[in-house]
Amino acid sequence: MIDAARLPPAEKRSLRLGYLRLSDSAPLIMAQELGHYEKYGLDVELRREVSWANVRDKLVVGDLDAAQLLAPLPLATSLGAGGLRAELITGLALSLNGNAITLDQALADEVDAAGGDGPRDAGSTARALRQCLGNGRRHLTLAAAHSFSCHILQLRHWLRAGGIDPQRDVQIIVLPPEQMVDSLSRGIIDGFCVGEPWNSVAVQYGIGAVQATGYQIWNNALEKVLGVTEAWHQQHPATHLRLRLALMEACSWLAHPYNREQAVSVLADPRYLDLTAECLRPALTGQYVFRKGGPALALPHFHVFGRFQAGFPWRSDGEWLLQGIGELLGRSLAPEEIRSRVQRCFRTDLYREAARHLDLPSPGQDYRPPGVHDAPFAAGPDIELGPDLRLPLPDPRDA
Amino acid sequence: MPDKNSRHRALRVILVDDDQPRAQAVEARLRDVGFEVLTVIPTASGLLYQMAQRDPDVVIIALDSPDRDVLESLSVISARNPRPVVMFSGSGDTQFIRDAIRAGVTAYQAEDINPERVRAAIDIALAQFSAFNDLRAQLDDTRRQLEERKLVEKAKGLLMAAHAINEEQAFTTLRKLAMDRNRTLGETARDIIAILEKDKLRGRH
Repeated sequence: MIDAARLPPAEKRSLRLGYLRLSDSAPLIMAQELGHYEKYGLDVELRREVSWANVRDKLVVGDLDAAQLLAPLPLATSLGAGGLRAELITGLALSLNGNAITLDQALADEVDAAGGDGPRDAGSTARALRQCLGNGRRHLTLAAAHSFSCHILQLRHWLRAGGIDPQRDVQIIVLPPEQMVDSLSRGIIDGFCVGEPWNSVAVQYGIGAVQATGYQIWNNALEKVLGVTEAWHQQHPATHLRLRLALMEACSWLAHPYNREQAVSVLADPRYLDLTAECLRPALTGQYVFRKGGPALALPHFHVFGRFQAGFPWRSDGEWLLQGIGELLGRSLAPEEIRSRVQRCFRTDLYREAARHLDLPSPGQDYRPPGVHDAPFAAGPDIELGPDLRLPLPDPRDA
Repeated sequence: MPDKNSRHRALRVILVDDDQPRAQAVEARLRDVGFEVLTVIPTASGLLYQMAQRDPDVVIIALDSPDRDVLESLSVISARNPRPVVMFSGSGDTQFIRDAIRAGVTAYQAEDINPERVRAAIDIALAQFSAFNDLRAQLDDTRRQLEERKLVEKAKGLLMAAHAINEEQAFTTLRKLAMDRNRTLGETARDIIAILEKDKLRGRH
C-alpha cells in the first residue's frame, strides 16, 4: 500500500468535484464516505449538477476542479460540439457499462409478442421492434441523455442491429435523465437509452420494460471518466495524482460485489442522490430486472468499477467514440485528427503513473484490437480484460 | 433557414427560468430595449416543442435548468432541425463566460444571427441574475442573523436556569466561551443548547 505522505505535496487541497444524479457516480461518492480523499490530503466538496453542459462550463471557468464526465464529452468539447470549445483531459476512467434501453410498456408487450427476448439476446428485441414499426407506418420518438454520449451511440447501434435506420426510421431527441420516466409515462416519447437508476425506475412503476443493457450492446464500454481541464492538470499535477489515487481506491472497493449493497444505501442518502435504495439496487448489485414482476437476473457486469482494467482510458475506445461523434455531426474527421485529439484527451500516461503508485498492473498498449472475446481473458501478466464483443450488425447485403 | 429580414426586425427570445420573479424582471428589461419575448417557460416543460413552434433567435436559460443539454442537441443540423443553435460565447470572451456562469445564466442563439445583436440581451440577463443573487445573499444573511439571535436568546435562558445567574451574566459567559474557542456567538449558542438540553433529558431519568 501507498504512503500518501511521500507523494509530492498537493498544490491545492480544497477541491470541488461535480457529478450527476446517476448510479455510476458511486466512485466519487464512496471515495468521500470511505475517507479516501482525506487519506490523500484532499478536502473534497461534492457538487451535484443538473446538466453535462453545466459540468463542462464550470470546469472550464474553474468553478469545479474536476468532475465525472461522459466518456465522449472531453472529445466533443475539444471539437466545440454543441457548446464551449475547450481542452478537457482524462487520466482515469471511472466505470464501464451502466446504461440500458427501455421501451414503453405497451410497446414492449408488442415486441415480446413479435419474438423479442431482451435478457437472452438484445438483437432479438431490436428485430422485433422493426416488425412493430410496420414498414414506416408507425413513427417512434426515442430519447437519449446527451447528444454526444455512449447512450446515443448505443441506441443507434441497437437499432441498426435490428435493421432499423436510426436517422430515417425513428426520431431521436435529447432529454435530461430525470425527465425520461415522466416523458415516457405521458407518451411524449416511446422509449429511451439512459443510465441507471432511470431504467429501473420505469420498470418498478410498470411504465416501461428494458430491451437491452449497455453491456449487451458493447461489452465493457467506457462510460464515465474523471475530467479536468488541461490547464488545471498542468497547474495541479500532484493534486490530480492524489485525486486519481483516491478514486482508484474507491473503484477497487466497488469491485467487490459484497460492498455494493453498502454503496446502495450511501448513494440513496439525501446528501447524495436522494433516491430510494429500491431503484438503485438492481443495477448496482447486479440483480437486474427487465420488466415489472419479472425475475432478477444475475448481471454482475451491469456496472463495472475497478476490474477488467476499467480505469484505463483506452485510446482505441476514444478513437471509436470520436468517430461516432463525427458521424452524429455529419462531419468526417480525418484519421490524423482523430488520433491527435484522442492522444491529447485520453492520457494513458497519467493512468499508468497512478497505477505504479498503487502497485497495480496497467496495459502496456494504448490501443486494443476490436473485440473477439466472449469471456474474461488475460492480456498480459496480471492483466485481465473483460469480454469485448459488440452486438452484431446485420450484413448490409441482406438489407 | 437563413432569415433575410432578421437584420430589421426585433430579435425573438425564449427565456427558460423556474424563478418567476427573476424571469419577470429579465423579461421586462428585454422588452424595454426592443426584444420580442416569445415565451417564458419554466424548466422541464417541452423545450423542444417550444423551439420547433416558436423558432426563436435567442434562448436565455438559467443554469439550474437541466434543459441545457437539450438545447445543445439542437446544434446538430438535421431535417427536423434546419436552424442550428450555438452557445453564445461573447466571441470567445472567457471573462464574459465566467461572469455568466457565476451569475447562473447562459444563452444560445441561432447560428444565422449576428452575435453583436444578441449581446444586449445577454448583458441584461447577466445583470438581472446578478442583482437577484445579491438580493438572495442579503436575504440569507438577514435570515442567518435572525436565527443566530434566536439561538443566543435560547442559550442565555438555559444558562440562567442551569447556573441560577442573571441575563447579563449569562451573556458574558456565552461571549467569553465564544472568544476562547474562536467561534461565533451563534455557533457557541448552538453547542450550549445541545449540551444543556442533553443534560436536561438525562436529569429526568
